Amino acid sequence: MPDWLNKWRQVRDAAADVLSMNRRNLGYVYPHNARCDFPVANDKLLCKEILQPLGVPLAKTHYSYRYFYELRTLAEDLKGLDEFVIKPASGSAGNGIIVIVGREGDEWLGISGKRYSLEAIQRHLSDIIFGVFSFDNNDAAIIEERVVQHEVMERLYDRGLADVRIILFKHEPVLAMSRVPTHASDGKANLHQGAVGLGIALESGRCTHAMLQGVPIEKHPDSGTVLIGVEMPFWSEILSHSRHIAEAVPLKYLGIDIAIGKSGPVLLEINARPGLEIQNVNRQAMRPLLEAIR
Amino acid sequence: MGFKLFLLDYPLKGLIPQQSYQVELAMEVDGHGDRIQMQAFLPRSDARQLIIEEQQATGLFTQNLQSEGMNRIASWEGDGVQGHQEVRYTVLVQSKPVRYELPEGQSIPAHYPPSLQPYLMVEEGIQVDSPLIAERVEQLLPATQERTLAESLTTIHRHLQDAFENRNFSGYTDALTALKLGEASCNGKGRLFVALARKLNIPARLVGGFIMEGGSKRTSHQWVEAYVNGHWVPFDTINDHYAEIPANYLTLYYGDEVLFKHSSNVNFQYRFTTTKRLIPRYEAQQTLGDSIFNLINFYTLFERVGISQDLLKVLLMIPLGAFVTVVFRNVIGIETFGTFLPALIAAAARETGLVWGLIGFILIITITALVRKGLDWLQLLHSPKMAVILAVVVVVMMMMTVTGVQLGLFELAQMTLFPIAILAITAERFAIITEEQGVKKALHLMATTAVVIAACYAVMSSLFMQSLFLAFPELLLVVMALNMWLGRWVGMRLMEYYRFRHLLQSGVSNA
Repeated sequence: MPDWLNKWRQVRDAAADVLSMNRRNLGYVYPHNARCDFPVANDKLLCKEILQPLGVPLAKTHYSYRYFYELRTLAEDLKGLDEFVIKPASGSAGNGIIVIVGREGDEWLGISGKRYSLEAIQRHLSDIIFGVFSFDNNDAAIIEERVVQHEVMERLYDRGLADVRIILFKHEPVLAMSRVPTHASDGKANLHQGAVGLGIALESGRCTHAMLQGVPIEKHPDSGTVLIGVEMPFWSEILSHSRHIAEAVPLKYLGIDIAIGKSGPVLLEINARPGLEIQNVNRQAMRPLLEAIR
Repeated sequence: MGFKLFLLDYPLKGLIPQQSYQVELAMEVDGHGDRIQMQAFLPRSDARQLIIEEQQATGLFTQNLQSEGMNRIASWEGDGVQGHQEVRYTVLVQSKPVRYELPEGQSIPAHYPPSLQPYLMVEEGIQVDSPLIAERVEQLLPATQERTLAESLTTIHRHLQDAFENRNFSGYTDALTALKLGEASCNGKGRLFVALARKLNIPARLVGGFIMEGGSKRTSHQWVEAYVNGHWVPFDTINDHYAEIPANYLTLYYGDEVLFKHSSNVNFQYRFTTTKRLIPRYEAQQTLGDSIFNLINFYTLFERVGISQDLLKVLLMIPLGAFVTVVFRNVIGIETFGTFLPALIAAAARETGLVWGLIGFILIITITALVRKGLDWLQLLHSPKMAVILAVVVVVMMMMTVTGVQLGLFELAQMTLFPIAILAITAERFAIITEEQGVKKALHLMATTAVVIAACYAVMSSLFMQSLFLAFPELLLVVMALNMWLGRWVGMRLMEYYRFRHLLQSGVSNA
């Protein structure tokens, strides 16, 4: 057999193991996640509502606004709040999120150092309600408790919230990674925008690979912290919570994003169409793992 | 489709591409603020040449078309014309060579019907009544011998071809002058041919036109036709075509006319540019609709409500363009702005050409996105902002049209067919992406979209595809089926081979 043909066959066989976009959609998302169940993943308010009674740790919702008239009370609502996070209920990729870490006089201080007046916050909330950050034409804005990050995660990078993403299929964890923001990602835990991806071994919760924009690295580009070998705090809790969550929602193929706070994991959101980059971050093709669960 | 092919005897052969000519006539003038008029003859379809598609870019001028006898005259008028201006006319022609066998031994008829009388008369430059003409006729074909029709025409043709020098002189030469000088350009020889033939009582006329050869040139051509047994038989004594003309002769007018007329002192220049193209035979497309077996002759149905075949072609091509986009997105893995945008821009680029279409698209999106950025400080709510952006797109497009006309870039002026609403949405998305994912990402998406537009354009502007879909609209079902197949296709996108290359390599080394 010619060498190139041999090589091609090997590539083709290897390709069959990789979960591709087309196969993810046709083989996993469409058959296992009914469209009518997507709101659980898309709407963080709904998600909280469903999971609250089950004892899943969630960031406390201070206020939520679905209609413009509800914003009339905003000044009153924010009176006692110096630290909070503003989120669109149906946002994605970390867009539309503002993290407020303190107050100075009439203004609030964002985690990036930017200052927000009451009007600026009100405008941002209106934008969210108007659906600027979601696919629909309207959305709800959430003001919730700010998760103060566990010091292990804080040491990796302290200007944004890192998260742990676990993909589960039929309630079983398949792959896990952690996304650590960078200056380049503007504090967002979004790989495409330049966050670092940590491949996490499911059994140990230890970081086995670290990847920045597809290139293997060993240290965080901004903090310089060594990444390989870092152990995620509360790992067994994270796994058991994810299983719990997966059993509670109707989605059978999903990504669960969890932040690690000082006193334990906190659910950030559920994703009905989790991305494929997790395979690169872990240097692990996902299909054999999924087939084993089937 | 098979039914049409085999039972209805569809002229499939006709779909095989045939040599065609695209001729562009550019007329330039320099205005000094006065009224300028120009006039030219435009070709018309006949048994030998078929006019498939005509396009005009009239710039500042208004165009007026009229028929005069057998000729089609276009005139362009503009008031207060300043500076260098241009009018362009483009025509797509399929033509055939013709060749006649003249009947031997048939004598010249003594009488003709009244309709042929004008072709026997004296004209200003065709001095049939001159003694010199009579003398030359007598010299060539003595009245003492019997003059047959074929022999007379052969003699005149050979005499003009062999005894007269060809002159590359572009001015006017009448029949007598040509005769006296013993040399002439095409128009002088033509007039002399007509004069000699008419003197022999053979109806003859001048034909004006153009030889379609690749490249650009500033000369027109004249030849003649003589009436033989109900046929107008062509002769060209410059290029020695006896009772024949080649396919690349484009007839523009009949009679002793001047191809161009224009106001004085405008430095009028004209230029013919010919491009050869391979396209399917147009008759094939036509006969498809005319077949009496065609139960639902829906093309005539469309025509009845004023929807031209041209528009239908565009409509039929849009699903194909969308399919091309789908292939790029799902098989190759190239992101674009929207699924339909590339196909719609490619369809609109029909009027502007690909390059200008892309330039227009990029300009509209970037200018609109910049304006939208400027709107940011107003802090508008979403829907009103989108409505403002829509208006901005319309304004930008109109400004580009005006600038295009001013600069003589007519292609740019044709942009009004662009899908406004989709452009507005795209501009908004472009602006959001620059904000959320950076300018680099937005420009990247713009570039990939441009590539896909180009691919859509290549497929959609292919006359072969257009004719094929016009002949077999049921091919849309095939496009649907292909889309359905791709809709169930779980293979790896080409770009994913790159994205997961490390996984694939480690997979290879593990194996």
